Amino acid sequence: MPNEAGDAYGLTALCPIKIGDDQKCSFASLTRAYLQQMQETRADEDSPMASVPNTYLCRFFVLDNVNYQGKPAVLDSLKSPYLVFVAELHGDRDTYLEGMWKRAEPMIREVWKHCVGFGSVVTAEHFVNYIVRCQVETTLYFNGSTDDPLREQLKALYLQQEFSKFAFASTRKSAEDLQRDFRSFVARTRPHDVARPTWRAGASDLANVVVSGDESENS
Amino acid sequence: MMSTDPDIPLDLHDIQGNIIKAYNREDYVTARYVLYQVTDGAKGREFLAELLPYVTTAAPWSRESAVRAGNPKPPVTLNIAFTHQGLEALELPAASLLTFPQEFVSGMVKRREILGDDGKSAPEHWDPVWLKPVHLLLWLNGPGRPNEHVLDEYHGMLVELAKKFAPGVECLSGHRGEDGAERDYQSGSALYDEDGNITAKEHFGYSDGISNPFFKGTGANPNNVIGGGKVTRESPDTVEGWEPLETGEFLLGYKDEAFEYPEAPLPPLLARNGTYLVFRKLHENVGSFESYLDETSKHFEGGKEALAAKFVGRWRNGAPLATHPTEEEANGLAARWNQAYVSMKKAEADHDDGAYATASNVYADVRKELVAFDYDQDLAGGRCPVGAHVRRVNPRGGLEFGRSGAFASRGALTNRRRILRRGLPYGICRDRSRDDGEHGNIVMMLVASIRRQFEFVQQQWMNYGNDFKLGNDKDPLLGNHSDDPDGIDGRMTIESTPGSGKPPFLCAGIPRFVETRGGAYFFVPSMTALRMISKALVDPT
Repeated sequence: MPNEAGDAYGLTALCPIKIGDDQKCSFASLTRAYLQQMQETRADEDSPMASVPNTYLCRFFVLDNVNYQGKPAVLDSLKSPYLVFVAELHGDRDTYLEGMWKRAEPMIREVWKHCVGFGSVVTAEHFVNYIVRCQVETTLYFNGSTDDPLREQLKALYLQQEFSKFAFASTRKSAEDLQRDFRSFVARTRPHDVARPTWRAGASDLANVVVSGDESENS
Repeated sequence: MMSTDPDIPLDLHDIQGNIIKAYNREDYVTARYVLYQVTDGAKGREFLAELLPYVTTAAPWSRESAVRAGNPKPPVTLNIAFTHQGLEALELPAASLLTFPQEFVSGMVKRREILGDDGKSAPEHWDPVWLKPVHLLLWLNGPGRPNEHVLDEYHGMLVELAKKFAPGVECLSGHRGEDGAERDYQSGSALYDEDGNITAKEHFGYSDGISNPFFKGTGANPNNVIGGGKVTRESPDTVEGWEPLETGEFLLGYKDEAFEYPEAPLPPLLARNGTYLVFRKLHENVGSFESYLDETSKHFEGGKEALAAKFVGRWRNGAPLATHPTEEEANGLAARWNQAYVSMKKAEADHDDGAYATASNVYADVRKELVAFDYDQDLAGGRCPVGAHVRRVNPRGGLEFGRSGAFASRGALTNRRRILRRGLPYGICRDRSRDDGEHGNIVMMLVASIRRQFEFVQQQWMNYGNDFKLGNDKDPLLGNHSDDPDGIDGRMTIESTPGSGKPPFLCAGIPRFVETRGGAYFFVPSMTALRMISKALVDPT
């Protein structure tokens, strides 16, 4: 069945970009330039999409046209360039898109501002409807994730890494020391507290990976 | 499914010898590796033309006792390879130069990040010669004690010959020697035991070079496919358990494991019967290795030898853990192997053809035990750890993780990552409590694709563990473990026997046992291509 794999959802939307320009640059190029500068100026964990709940993976790109495959294929052409938005997420699509609007509305407005018909999108409901109209079926999934809620996956990754550190550091300890240290390991890592400490959503730099204390519960 | 391809024998006279022959198995146990820079293309080509008659090919050698004179073994072998800059210096046409793969054009130094040549393995710590414009590698292999002088004499002749072409062809100096002096060549030699017998050991004490890929067309004994070919779904101790690899994994111009010709330079005659050589000078930190083993094995059931075996997946005497999990079994196999070898060599020396044939068969049977295994009975790693060196560099069918039929063939994830290994140890370790000194391995790897075979194995299987479900863990012996005491590097999990109720044994803080001291990527042309290069006949148009 397309789009759903257990509790994971694969969302692919192709949003037509207006044909035209701002007198210097085509709308497609403007859209691409905005996407590229997001990548340039931010660490992965600072991406607006890292704050969108339950994002396993997401990607934006501009599709200028379809590739010509060579004879005997027929040369085909899209009617316009498209902004392609691909996300793999936990849970249902509409809740996800509502959460995305809530967390990342300023980015959404910038990314989609040159898309056909986006001018009338002013609420979360409009955004959901807009993406649904642009949706195409998804059948291939990112294989690096389970279908559990993102918070649980991030906590599991954090615990796995911390536990392996603990295990490698504890190999020769006496039973008493091991028990004492394990208690403090549990107290520090709080295995039952999914919110913290945990891995930061979107983090790719090990130096800045752990969310501790009272940082926002953003995943 | 067995291959239905016709069995096409290779033109062994056209292929450089070391590609097919492991010289150290043919009693060439000493070596010199000499590097040249060519600043005058015409003189470089003349030099090459002068060398051509002495280049050793892969044609079989007739044994001394054979009736037919045939192709006698040379006293010293000679082979030649070029860097991309070397081919440019020899004025290969630009249209040809542009057709070589990018990693070969870039060279080893520029690929340092992929290879993990960082920290003490970084090029700034290499022998100075490797940072010079290396164009040409000549390597000579000769006899061991007491005839090492033969190699010296041949090398002397080479030096004289090269002088005729100077200036224009310069031997590069800067191979670090034992006394710290910069030499004109890198030497290599098998190691000897206390009784003066040649061994197959490297400086950590492991028997090396036991298993090598077996591929189509070489004319080798078909039984040697066992352990050297690619795994089928039959038993690994039978001929049916293996199939020869496609020639195109190791030689350009032939079908490879993807059912196509490997990426190759133009024109086809330049590429055919040639291959790529990855040359690495790897220093071995014997002191760190011994002290880590001593310290860590105090807590390891089975002790030091067992821990050393778990690192590599073979006991230091060569017996595989997968089939010989106890030291007693391993020692038994090693003793039989040694006995079979001694008998075979004695029969050869005595010119006793009958005895030689018998001894060879016995030797082949014992050798089979060293290579005829896979990991299907040991998926959890209770015998051979999943992260052990040999299981990483050649997982055999292990990447199916027991899910028979997961891929189109059992070796689908392995068959395009195989590597022919040549080379010899270098130097002598005079103090096993220290890391310094000049000793290690000259590792020569022959592959049709440097990127797909060598670089992939180095990056993904030696310096990373994800394919083995081992996270960031690296090869315990060859991984580029960092010196950061708080880092997550330098780990190995030694799995316990499933059902034993015992926890795994965790090795932490493994230091970097092996450091890169030099190396480059070379192209090893066929005899035809060597002649064409020497005559400026390469024409890609």
